[in-house]
Amino acid sequence: MNLEEFLAMEESRERDELIDLRGLDFVSEYDSHLMCPICHCPFVDPVHLQCDHVFCGSCLSSAITTIRSADSDDFPCPSCRIPAKEISTSVPRLLINMCDEIRVRCPLLTEGCEEIIPRGHVQSHVEKYCGYRLVPCPDDSCDKMMRSNDVGIKTKCMHAVRFCPRCQENVVEQDFEEHDVKLCPVLEVPCTDCQTVVTRGELDAHLESCPEVAIPCSASKYACPVKIRRADIATHEQSCPLVAMGPYFEGQNARLNSLELGMRHLQQRNEIFEDGLANIRSTLMESTRVNTSSHANRSSTQTTRDQQPRARPEVDSADSEDIATSIFSSTANSYLLSLHESLREKVGQLSHAIIDLDARASMTIMNESLRIKEDMALTNAAMNSVRMQVQWLMNPRLHQGPRGAVRANNTTEGTRTQLDSSASTAGPSTSSAQSLGFLRPRRLSDTGREGTKL
Amino acid sequence: MQDHLPPGIAMVKSENLEEWQMDIKVLDTNPLYLDQTYRLKFTFSNKYPIEPPEVQFIQCAESTGTPRSIPIHPHIYSNGIICLDLLGSSGWSPVQNVESICMSLQSMLTANTRDERPIGDQEFVATNRRRIRDINFVYEDDNV
Repeated sequence: MNLEEFLAMEESRERDELIDLRGLDFVSEYDSHLMCPICHCPFVDPVHLQCDHVFCGSCLSSAITTIRSADSDDFPCPSCRIPAKEISTSVPRLLINMCDEIRVRCPLLTEGCEEIIPRGHVQSHVEKYCGYRLVPCPDDSCDKMMRSNDVGIKTKCMHAVRFCPRCQENVVEQDFEEHDVKLCPVLEVPCTDCQTVVTRGELDAHLESCPEVAIPCSASKYACPVKIRRADIATHEQSCPLVAMGPYFEGQNARLNSLELGMRHLQQRNEIFEDGLANIRSTLMESTRVNTSSHANRSSTQTTRDQQPRARPEVDSADSEDIATSIFSSTANSYLLSLHESLREKVGQLSHAIIDLDARASMTIMNESLRIKEDMALTNAAMNSVRMQVQWLMNPRLHQGPRGAVRANNTTEGTRTQLDSSASTAGPSTSSAQSLGFLRPRRLSDTGREGTKL
Repeated sequence: MQDHLPPGIAMVKSENLEEWQMDIKVLDTNPLYLDQTYRLKFTFSNKYPIEPPEVQFIQCAESTGTPRSIPIHPHIYSNGIICLDLLGSSGWSPVQNVESICMSLQSMLTANTRDERPIGDQEFVATNRRRIRDINFVYEDDNV
């Protein structure tokens, strides 16, 4: 059905609902999925939207009337805000059954009905079966209501006023029976202790004075267990030791109370004094620290030996002096001990630091020496290669030595020195033109060797 | 619902059905709200949940034992009034409840990085005498 039809339907439905199904007292636990997200009660007449969200019919209709902008034929689903036009009242039977199955108390619990029934039956229970529902009085002239339970038993009107002939009072019919048997003040009842018969109205006064009524001894608050007839109580009280002691007990009680009060006062004062003492002690401690620290600086090596002589004279004179002095000396002792401890700790720390430094120094030395070793190895290699080159350059010279003797017998010495100098400065590739002529045939065969060397 | 409140949400006062108070905390490490607890006041009309409740942050003095302040946020005025479409009649849905509102406000605080009050805060706080439901907010910021 569309929106308008749904709203119209809900409007007409609301009239014939007698019981507020949401206000019932739910006895059994129910699944939260059976709960309408709007009213948080198990669904009442559930309906569902295209987006599959289910609500109570009445909840949804009131939500629609407030959410919907005027005259539009759709509205957003309260749960997911998807626009909905169609509302379907055909929700699965299962859901309705589960909601109706939930057990509730009869709403007439205040009237006395203690029945627990499934929610689906509440309406019919209250309308037809509950013995505590109110029905019109069977007397046509009476416009009052009465419990349906009572209608079957008494056929006459229970609201008529009836006159009690004994006490001259008007009593409503439905209460008359009880009044007649139990409550009427003129009714005569026997005293439970003496056998005299008095009227109900006078019973209380009688019990106050009846000699047969058992009453406790007046010393019962001091643990006298006796409880006897009023007539005998006087003789008992004369012989009862607790009654005789009564005034004494009272006096003691009063004293105890006042002492307790005084104790409490003293305790409070004591606390205050203790606080003050603690304050004084802490200030003394601080001043001692200042004194001994200056002393300790002067002779820190003698701290342990100093302790005894320093402390003793003060202890000796303690009885004549203020009590604070003894505190002073003991704190001085403990201070020196703690100073000693702290110095010992510092020495320990220093030795640790030295060991640490030692390890670090040896590490750096090792690192450095490793580096130097590597450098040296490199230099050695370079030196070796230079030596090889020089040797290679020298070789042809040495070979040529005998041949060159033919060309220049007397200048051999000069040429050799010249060649040496050019090789050491410029290397083999830029050999002087002078040596080029006789080097060429050797170089061809030696090129591969030269490549590997360089 | 009262038995299983989500983390960071605690009920303070719920004696009657007109006014409730809740405490909320921001649970992540947002430095603006770290280790802070804020108090919310819910005022329900007799049409709740069809109509939204009035929700605002309230301040508690140090002397009450639970000092509470107003969180700083570009949509929360310094008198505690919150500008959130969810709490206005246009954004409200009857499906919402106290718990879901608290969670929305938690996430609104969590997502905020700006350490500022709304524009015109001083003026609004000084001049506003209307009830919360009568204020016409314009929800222009979709980022928060």
